[in-house]
Amino acid sequence: MNYPLWDVPFIGGGWVIGMTAIFHVLISQFAVGGGFYIAMAEQKALREGRKDWMDIVKKQSRFFLVLTAVFGTVSGVGIWFAIGLANPEATSTLIHNFVFGWAIEWVIFLVELATVLVYYYTWGRIADKLHLTVGWLYAIVSFFTLFIINGILSFKLTPGAAWLSVAGTGHEASMFWPAFFNPGYWPSLFIRMGICCTLAGAWSLVTCSRIGNDQLKLKTDMIGWTMKWLLPLFCTLPFLALWYWHQVPEAHRILASLGVNTVAPGIFTMVTRMIIVLLVSSVTLISVVYFFALRSPADFKLPQAVVIMFLALVVVGSMEYTREMLRKPFIVAEHMYSNGVRVKDIEKINKDGYLTHTLWIRDGSKTSVARGEAMYRGQCMACHTVDGYRPTRTLLAGRDRAAITNFLKVLRDHKPDSPYFRFMPPLVGTDEEVQALGDYLDTLTPKPAQP
Amino acid sequence: MSEQNETVSRRDFLKWVVAGVGACYAAAIGYPVLRFLTSPAEQAKILGAVKEVTVKDGHKLALGASMMFKFGSRPALLIHHKDGTWTALDAVCTHLGCTVAYQSDRNVIHCNCHGGEYDAQSGKNISGPPPRPLKQYVAKVVEDGVLVTRA
Amino acid sequence: MKNMMEDLWKWCDERLDLSAMVAFAKHKTVPEHKHSFWYFWGGISLFLFMVQMITGILLLIYYRPGPDAFDSVRQITYDVNFGWLIRSVHAWAANLMIAAIVVHMFSVFFMKAYRSPREFGWWSGALLLMIASVFGFSGYLLPMNELSYFATKVGLDIPTGMPIIGPILSDIVRAGPEVTEFTLERFFALHVVVLPLIFLPILMIHLWLVAKHGNAVPPSEELKPAAERKSIPFFPNFMMKDLGVWLITLNILILFAAVFPWDLGVQADALKAAPKGIHPEWYFMVPFQLLKAFGNWFPGSLGEGMGIGIFTGGIILWLLVPLYDPNSRSGLRARNATYFGLLALAAVVGLTIWGYLAL
Repeated sequence: MNYPLWDVPFIGGGWVIGMTAIFHVLISQFAVGGGFYIAMAEQKALREGRKDWMDIVKKQSRFFLVLTAVFGTVSGVGIWFAIGLANPEATSTLIHNFVFGWAIEWVIFLVELATVLVYYYTWGRIADKLHLTVGWLYAIVSFFTLFIINGILSFKLTPGAAWLSVAGTGHEASMFWPAFFNPGYWPSLFIRMGICCTLAGAWSLVTCSRIGNDQLKLKTDMIGWTMKWLLPLFCTLPFLALWYWHQVPEAHRILASLGVNTVAPGIFTMVTRMIIVLLVSSVTLISVVYFFALRSPADFKLPQAVVIMFLALVVVGSMEYTREMLRKPFIVAEHMYSNGVRVKDIEKINKDGYLTHTLWIRDGSKTSVARGEAMYRGQCMACHTVDGYRPTRTLLAGRDRAAITNFLKVLRDHKPDSPYFRFMPPLVGTDEEVQALGDYLDTLTPKPAQP
Repeated sequence: MSEQNETVSRRDFLKWVVAGVGACYAAAIGYPVLRFLTSPAEQAKILGAVKEVTVKDGHKLALGASMMFKFGSRPALLIHHKDGTWTALDAVCTHLGCTVAYQSDRNVIHCNCHGGEYDAQSGKNISGPPPRPLKQYVAKVVEDGVLVTRA
Repeated sequence: MKNMMEDLWKWCDERLDLSAMVAFAKHKTVPEHKHSFWYFWGGISLFLFMVQMITGILLLIYYRPGPDAFDSVRQITYDVNFGWLIRSVHAWAANLMIAAIVVHMFSVFFMKAYRSPREFGWWSGALLLMIASVFGFSGYLLPMNELSYFATKVGLDIPTGMPIIGPILSDIVRAGPEVTEFTLERFFALHVVVLPLIFLPILMIHLWLVAKHGNAVPPSEELKPAAERKSIPFFPNFMMKDLGVWLITLNILILFAAVFPWDLGVQADALKAAPKGIHPEWYFMVPFQLLKAFGNWFPGSLGEGMGIGIFTGGIILWLLVPLYDPNSRSGLRARNATYFGLLALAAVVGLTIWGYLAL
């Protein structure tokens, strides 16, 4: 509407955000969990005077701290580019609302990067105790990067009644704190922290598995210590997950049941399926850690550690995907749909027209099909592509013009018993615009054979 | 001595962990299997919940007209045929579950999703992808409307 | 509680001699060396077969053989709670099981685990693979969708190339000149009753042989002096690792089944033309492509005959390898056998890829 559409072929703009964000979230979760792990490991090494332990910690810190700092920074900035291009409407809302939160986050990032560089390059060059303090400082600052971004991220699913009451009035920033510490904030923070620490433990197992048989005692000791780190996490994470699930709004939780009795296309069964993958992979992860790392640490090999790492990534990946899908059809729940349309604007748009308020329409919007295409680009391409991801052509296959009209009517009416109500925004615009959209969509679908 | 106790309690703890993990697996696999096995019973219960519905003012329907109503949680279709007879049907298309509609001019029930068609009197699937007929109800005109009951 | 369990154990043990079994299991060792990873693949195949039995029984509860077959599968996929998942797991596990058996077979070959006294293990294993292929072929028809129908039609046309007995055989299997619901019903009986009844005893023999003879040690390990060879007890050490590997296999299976659910397809219509590029499942691509290639190079029955001849000949040579390469002392024969194995592997992979490219 207010911005041009960033038309990314085949995968769609959403997946550009998705891929950048997945990369960044994984890296940063390693960094946050790793910060605490390294600090605690260094402390243990110092307290017990174990040089061999200290050497391993130093080796681990290269991945945890330096690699994550570099790739975390690059991908973090990448997210800014991606969301600004793919969903500027929502980005604008988030910026206007949380501008000081973002600013503080940047300061914390700078401190985090400074700390990690000092920590890595002064190893052995400054007093041990001082070095350990720098390590702890890194861990705490790193945690704060999560503490802050979590407010903004959790806001999207549960903005909270207080913020919603002023949304669209221009006074949103007055509700900064209720929006930041929204109903989903604490469950989200705790479970993310749990995941960060688990990932750190999984990476540590990779390092431990590579310790040679000439240092067998070190290997079994480190694996044992990592078990003490991982097992309490395995015990608490299910409860944290339940706590998180509990604060997901009821209307969104229902999405998880759509794939129970069917897997038919167009019914949005992905949430159910991802939850199945998540649950099974979590249990497998715990089992594999038990059967391989815990029971025979001396025998623990690199391929086994890689499998554990892979399973951890599957768990995290499926969890993040589920979390994203649960928020549908909104980008900011109950306020803005994924395609940028605000709930409060629907009446106005239906009266005035969607294209009337669209600043960026491609040239040639004089024919009905062209206007329909503009409608499609504005309202549908936030989540769909024509022939790539969630392809409209495939999803509408078999429908004739009357069927398309009927389908658009169902989307426009947006009744609670509509099969699309749970995961698609209402179609907005004047009757003429909706008709034009139908004309455009008609050009996409191969016609069924005439009886 | 205390080390022995410590090792024993650690072994017990691990036994509990294994038991816990085993229970989680049993649940993760058992839950879908249980729902799988109880599926018909579940659906029968939902369907059996409502036995009859009186469509208010349904008797005022003109000849050749139709209206949608709710039978329990499912959409249903009431048709007043040109020859004066009544038909009441479950309106969920047997192909992929879209809601069907009555086309008065062609006297046929049509599904807009993929072009399936049903006979307007019997609900039998006559054209297109639907694999089975629409379920029929019994319709009887009463004082204040049309009483629709299960066949 | 603990005493109760011990008493229960003693009561059963006195009557069933369970202690002897536990002692045997505790006594058994598994060699540990850099190729030990391959020891897991028989177990993975077994695990996937057990998954097939369980999901197969569950599907049996709602599946209807006969004219209603496609609709019953439609009902399972789009109606019954988690029906789509059970079906998806069954279809994916079928493919993964055959893949696992092939990996198992080739690893056994290259480790030369067919040598004395394990020849019967090799032959029973080959039999199991053949039965598993028939499981796959018969099961594939059961949903009666377009792919099933045409893949079966094409598959059953192949034996007709054999002189005299070919057409008779095809007619018996097909229950007539065409693939119909009668074909479906006898494939169903085959898949659900006959094949399991044949498979299970042979599987038991195969497993008993492994328990009896233990895992073979590859030639490179045999060269080492006995003192240098490592091994771990089967129970509980190897068994625990086995269990861990099974859980990973289950996880990968669920990943595929949930993220790429098996398609229902379109109902089979005998009057329609075969879809372009119709082909059997990947595990039948080798004979499919072989026959296609020879059929193109040499005309008519000669081509088909040659294709079937080469395929059958190759299998017979493969089966006879324990007699050709019986022990480690025959250096030349041992090397030749390995080359033959590499040739077979290259042929299997190459023909499969070629088969897809030539579609």
